[in-house]
Amino acid sequence: MLETRPAIAWLEVHTENYMGGGKPIAYLEAIRDLYPISLHGVGLSLGSAEDLDAAHLERIRQTAERVEPAFVSEHLSWSLVDRRYLAHLLPLPMTEEALVIVCRHVDQTQAYLRRQILVENPSTYLRWRHSTIPEWEFLAAVADRTGSGILCDVNNIYVSAANHGWDPGTYLAALPPAAIGEIHLAGHSVRALEDGRILRIDDHGSRVIPEVWQLYAEALTRFGAVPTLIEWDTDIPELGVLLDEADRAAALLEEIHGADRDADAA
Amino acid sequence: MPTLLELQRTVYRGLVAGEGGPCAAHVVADGIGGEARLKVYRNTFIGNLTTALRLACPAIHRLVGAPFFESAARLFIKEQPPQSAWLDEYGVGFAEFLTGFAPAASLPYLPGVARLEWAVNTALHAIDAAPLELSSFVAVAAADHGHIAFVPHPSVGLVAADHPIDAIWRAVLSPDDAAMTAIDLAAGPVWLMVERNANGVEVLRLSEPEWRFMSDLCASRPLQEAIDVVPEIDAASLLAGHLAAGRFIRFALP
Repeated sequence: MLETRPAIAWLEVHTENYMGGGKPIAYLEAIRDLYPISLHGVGLSLGSAEDLDAAHLERIRQTAERVEPAFVSEHLSWSLVDRRYLAHLLPLPMTEEALVIVCRHVDQTQAYLRRQILVENPSTYLRWRHSTIPEWEFLAAVADRTGSGILCDVNNIYVSAANHGWDPGTYLAALPPAAIGEIHLAGHSVRALEDGRILRIDDHGSRVIPEVWQLYAEALTRFGAVPTLIEWDTDIPELGVLLDEADRAAALLEEIHGADRDADAA
Repeated sequence: MPTLLELQRTVYRGLVAGEGGPCAAHVVADGIGGEARLKVYRNTFIGNLTTALRLACPAIHRLVGAPFFESAARLFIKEQPPQSAWLDEYGVGFAEFLTGFAPAASLPYLPGVARLEWAVNTALHAIDAAPLELSSFVAVAAADHGHIAFVPHPSVGLVAADHPIDAIWRAVLSPDDAAMTAIDLAAGPVWLMVERNANGVEVLRLSEPEWRFMSDLCASRPLQEAIDVVPEIDAASLLAGHLAAGRFIRFALP
């Protein structure tokens, strides 16, 4: 990247991959001088019933101090219970109890980092019986109560909607446009289960499908020119394929909103 | 209706211990059963952590092969799931686990290689820390020098083993298939120091007394005590070398 300097607007990395010292963070600091960076965390576990892991939050703070990111984001999910980390973005029950807990943890995180964070909607493969709040209302309430932004993952909306029979348009319409700070796009896979039924699995390992591009166009119309990232972190293709996907997102952005150099695609 | 904590503990048992039933009872079945939906999460949970262990232990992975490694990882994950989301830290107990893992008993050097790999992994991901400046000793009275207790750089690790584990580790990770057959497993014990410097991570062989001296210093034992254990070595010049290489970041006086 430092040598070829591809024509992209900004970059996103997983916060957890840059918590150590040595070369990775040194390279990221060098790249940061050329491109804005977004720190995308997978481990803070905003939805855990227990307290946030203070050591992990401090690692995020230290990484952010060195990288000076444009955005810091986490997920509407949980992965920590009794101080054991389950290495997955696990689905929350959409209950008032969970909403209060998520909001408390978002408040604490924003206070500790002294900045707004973005909260991303997850892909889910199950729903809990005792959920009472639609996920889109839950996410909008988190943004409303905490002042957080929303990282709207259009592919995740498509995947979850397909898995649970939701209307993706209803989901988009429920999100407050002013809170949308970033959009994610990605490919996903379709897994056939033993009985022939299918689940869509968010694996970031292929091109964005046409239905998700369509939903992205709707999102841009509704939310404005929002910085957009293509996530592709398994079976990573040639850089040219990635740039091609990013160009396509940039073209849609420009088509719908005209040239806007602050909200380009990466 | 379970509380959030109750539900999360139930999910933990489903993912870690494979007791999916109680958890599935809380899942909307909706065409696909709760157990099948949970299995998607369990497979990813185990897959993600197996990948983390494989990245931390590439030599062990090659020595034992993928099927063996994956079954060992599966058991280890069940016994010792990670305690934090910083997965670069995950696997600290894996070498000790392999020591007690019956199917690995035919490879007596395996736990040693795993300990070395863990030290290399630790050195690779250790946080940055500024080395101790020699000028900081100016204020220490000569009479107090023997009481100095050092704090090592977070990347420094010390590993001793009955087999030439550094040679095995290098050979296994080398693309040359013949490298492994050239190793004399009976070559005797090795005393190793691992560190990260400007060139990356390095594994250095020390003599046994040099290793003991450095181990004591890294354990923050007072300098004079560390010197007294190994009177046969030139402690002053060894210490000067360690300091010049930036292997200590702080010191304390009692």
